[in-house]
Parts: sequence; C-alpha cells; structure tokens
Amino acid sequence: MESVGLNAYLFVGAVLFVCGIVCMAIKRNGIGVLMGVELVLNSANLNFVAFARYTPLGLDGQVIALFVIVLAAAEAAVALAIALNFYNNHLTIDVDRGSELQG
Amino acid sequence: MFQALFTSLLQETTQRSLWLAGPELALTAGIVLLLLGRLLGFDKLIPPHWIALAGAMAAFGLSLAIFYSANSTDPTAADEYFGVYFSGLMTFDKFGALVRLFLLLFLVFVLALTVLSGIPDAEDGPDFYTLLLGAVVGMLLMCSANNLLMVFLGIEMASVPSYAMAGFLKGRKQGSEAALKFVVFGAGAAGVMLYGISLLAGMLGTGDFQEIGLRLTVLFGNADGTLSDPVRAATIRTLLLALVMIFVGFAFKLSIVPFHFWTPDVFQGAPAEVGGFLSVASKAAAFALLTRLVLAIMSAGTASLQDLYLILGIAVGVIAAVTATFGNLAAYSQTNMKRMLAYSTIAHAGYMLMAIAAMMVLQSGRIGGDTSLAERSSHAVEGLLYYLAVYLFMNLGAFSITALIRNEIFSEEIEDYRGLGYQAPVLCVGMGLCLFSLVGLPPLGGFVGKLMIFASLLDAGYVHWSMWVILAIGGLNTVLSLFYYLNVLKTMYLTERPAGATTVTFPAWSSAGLYVMLVTVPIIVLGVHVQLVSNAARRAAEVLFLQ
Repeated sequence: MESVGLNAYLFVGAVLFVCGIVCMAIKRNGIGVLMGVELVLNSANLNFVAFARYTPLGLDGQVIALFVIVLAAAEAAVALAIALNFYNNHLTIDVDRGSELQG
Repeated sequence: MFQALFTSLLQETTQRSLWLAGPELALTAGIVLLLLGRLLGFDKLIPPHWIALAGAMAAFGLSLAIFYSANSTDPTAADEYFGVYFSGLMTFDKFGALVRLFLLLFLVFVLALTVLSGIPDAEDGPDFYTLLLGAVVGMLLMCSANNLLMVFLGIEMASVPSYAMAGFLKGRKQGSEAALKFVVFGAGAAGVMLYGISLLAGMLGTGDFQEIGLRLTVLFGNADGTLSDPVRAATIRTLLLALVMIFVGFAFKLSIVPFHFWTPDVFQGAPAEVGGFLSVASKAAAFALLTRLVLAIMSAGTASLQDLYLILGIAVGVIAAVTATFGNLAAYSQTNMKRMLAYSTIAHAGYMLMAIAAMMVLQSGRIGGDTSLAERSSHAVEGLLYYLAVYLFMNLGAFSITALIRNEIFSEEIEDYRGLGYQAPVLCVGMGLCLFSLVGLPPLGGFVGKLMIFASLLDAGYVHWSMWVILAIGGLNTVLSLFYYLNVLKTMYLTERPAGATTVTFPAWSSAGLYVMLVTVPIIVLGVHVQLVSNAARRAAEVLFLQ
C-alpha cells in the first residue's frame, strides 16, 4: 500500500494541536481544559512517531513517544486529583470560580 | 555482535554512569524507603523527615564527592571522566556538578525548615517528602540533560510533584485554587513545549545536544545562501516556531512575562515552605537547562544563523527587561508577604534572564569569528551561577522567615508585622538582610551577583548596543525595587505594635533561631568573600565554552 507521506501526518498533528490549544483557551470546565492538554500532548506524539518513520530521527522518536505517553498518564493522575480537591472545596469545577487569589 | 554491545553497555553503566547518577539514586532510595515505611508501618518508629533528611544528606555527600573529584581530576585524564553517560542521554561536567551541589544543599535546607515549621503533619509527612524528593530528582536530571527527551522528562518530573505540593494543605480553598491554576498553566505550557521539541527533533533528525548545532549548520548550508530562498525561509520559520514553543515551556518554569500569571497565585495559596522551594530550586534547574540548551543550539553556525541568533538574544533581553520591570511594579501594591515575594521572584527571574541574553548576544558574535568572545560569554554564565548561589540563600531566607513568623502570629499580611522588630529581633534582622540582599545593596551577596550580571551586559553591549539599554533598565529596576522591600522593614521597625496584638517571643538560641542565622550569614559571606564561590563558578562556566 502506498504511504501518504510525512506531511499528511504533520498536518493531522497540527490540527490536533490547534484543537487542543483552543480547547484549553475556551473551556471553563477544569476537566475540559485537561482534555485540551491531552490533545496537545498527543499531537506532539503523532509528530514524533511520524518523524520516526520518515526522517533520520528513527527509533528515538518512538522512544520519546512512549515516554510521553507515560508522563501524560502521570500528569493526568495528578491533575485529576487536584481537580477533585478543588471540587471538594468549591463544589464546582469551573476554573473561573477560583477567584480568591487576585491582586 | 549483540553480546559485545551488551557487554560494553553494561560496563559503561556499572563503571561510570551509576557513580555519576549517585545523587539521583540516593534520593530515589529515600523515596522508596518513605513509601515502604507507609506500607510496612515503620513510619511510626522512624519519623519520615529523618528518612528524607538522610536521603538528602547522602545525595548531597555524593554530589560533593563528585564535585571535588571533578575539580581535582587532572586535565589529561579529563576526557574519559567528563562527557556523556547513560548512552548519551545525560552529560557530566563541572557546570552540572556545581548546580547539582546547589540544588541538594538547598534541599537539605528546605527539609530542615519543614521540620522546624512543622508544615506537613505526622500523617502527611511521607507523602510530602516523597513529592519533594521526587521533584528534586527531576531537577537534577534537568541540570545534566543532554538530549531533548531528557529536557522534557526533567521538566515534567520536576513539575508534576510541584503541582501536588502547591495544593498540599487539605480543606483550604486558597490552596486548592492555587494548585488548580498551577496544574492547568503548567500542563498547557508543557504541551506546547513538547510540540516545539517534536518540531526541532524532527527537523534535525536528532535530539542529542552535541549534534544539534552541527545539524543546524548543515541544514543552513554555506554562508552564501540567502534567506529569500523559499525553502530556506520555510526552514527558518519552522526553526523559529520550534524555538519559541520550547521557550514557552521555559518561560512558564521561570515565571517570565507573559507566562507568569500562576506565580503570585500559587505562592500565596501554597505554604511558604513550598513557595520558597519553587522559587529557588525550580528556577536554578531551569536556568541550568536553558543555558545548556541555548549553547547546544548556538555551538556552531553560519552567517545567516548568526543574525538569527543575535535577534533571538536581543528578544530574550527585551523579555527579561519587561519581566524585571513588571515584577517590580506589581510588587508595590501587595499587602501579602508571600504575594510580594512572588512578584520579587518574577523580577529576579528577569535579572537572571538578562545574563542568558548577554550570553546569547556574545555567542552570536563568536559565531562571526571573534574567538575572544568565548571567554567573555563564559563570564555571563559565571555571573548567573553566582547569582543563583546567592539567590538560594536570600530567597530561602525570606520565605523561611515568613513561615516562622506565620507560626508565631498566624498571619502573612505585611500589616500584621507592625512593631515586630523589637519583639523578634533575630527574625526581623534576618529578614532585613535577605531583603537588602534582594535589592542588591553592598556589602551583601546580592550586590555581587547583580554586579557580575550587569558587567556581562555591559560587555555584550559592545556586540550590540541594545544590551546597554537592557542594562540601563536593569539598573533602574534595582532602584525601583528598593522601596517595596524597605516598606516591609519600615512596618517592622518604625511602627508600634498595635495594642492587643499577640506578643511574640522568639528566642535567638533556639533551633529555629540558629536556622535563621545559618541561612542569613552566607549572604554576608558571599558578599565579602567573593572568591569562595566565584572560582568554582568560573571553572564551571568555562567548560561550557571549550569547543
């Protein structure tokens, strides 16, 4: 089967990245923001894997992608715990409601 | 063939890498012990802070041994001793050894502070110290990273435990808000940085720091190629995009404008001990990593790249000047001590970034062929290292005294410090020393650090005049900052303690009093005996510019 080439993968990665950034910027729900972060991390992962296939980066790219998957899981665990803690104290997960610290 | 590869890998790991990674391993052993203590129940017998302190002391001892052996190794054998380890992912040199020493010394001080101020209670102790030690392991990795993978790995390993530490006190609205803001900002910045790393690694086909500069030179060919060539222009744009995205991640860690929003909120919401830890340790590690990364990218180049690097250096200088100015202006109106220190942290990140800017501008001149610039740009790194050494003590001092005062009067508002100067002289004199040093008044250490950074800015001005503008802004900022720091001391000494306020009795010869002296005396020593650290800093900085 013919390969679609590097640029197609990079394009999908870029679309994912922009979706993630937009999601982080406009979502008011804390969990929604974290989902945006996951999109961004995975867009970078897609890049790494594509570069591993098509450029001299080779296996390094796949190894980096594996590490990123593990780190994303760790980060999600901590972030969800913090979100839960925020919910326990504020009875909401709306990030705009965290407005005690200002000035 | 496979067996030969395996044997050589095993030899490299056991004979060299494990010894060089000793401090990290000692900390990891401490973490495992802390977790096992929870599991097997011996945390009731041995308090967790002793386990953490033992791990930190062991790591500090090991890093001291590595530091001394690095400085006493004779130069002829140096090639085998220094250089990459763990098959190229990490690198070992005097620079990394010195920053690791700073970080572990700082960790020991922070652990002592948490024991004195009792912020993690007996129930939470193991969790808190696990997070603290874990964050420091990440920072140690940042200091000796030699691969783009390790850049991301180190930053994340340092950040993720910090998020949890910011919201450590349960049932506090402010704490949970601080942690949420921290994690949302931090995760976003890390994601953007990772995307930038993916672009850079993909473009160059490598993540190895030794290779990056060479591949860039190959990519941009000979000096005669012009930027109007469309393919080359696209490559330059991709490179710029990747570098800017990577810088976003660093700007978040260093709390540089415009990615500073989390700093005041997190420092106010988190306990002062955590604030002190974040403001010093994560800055020191991030600056060490930034220096390494910048030098890896700028290690070689062609004429077209030289212009690009000069522009980048000036841009970093402008950002540094904006950061310092913003931090100092915003600190004026603060009424909460921790929040004021947070803005002062932003301002100091700006000063230290100026050293990086000076180094970048000088390096861009070096690519142009002026070889004398290598030594001059090493002075910028020397200044940065000296500043970090002083900053370690003065900022830790300010935060720890804030924590100790909080334990006495249960408040962190500057207003509540009225008249404290006569009731708790040790605390207030110590605070005065820290604040004067943060301003940069002689004969304290902060003065020498600032002088070194400003001197390298002056030197960089001969390559491009814009550095003199940055220098002028930096000098002006120093004057500006005097007023809000002095305001705290004025409140402490020149106003009466209000009637009905709790009387504070803080004996000088208690363990807390001795701790305050131990942290503040080095500020004076570093201001008077400059050679004590500057020699080591110079040797550490020089090795970065050898090639």
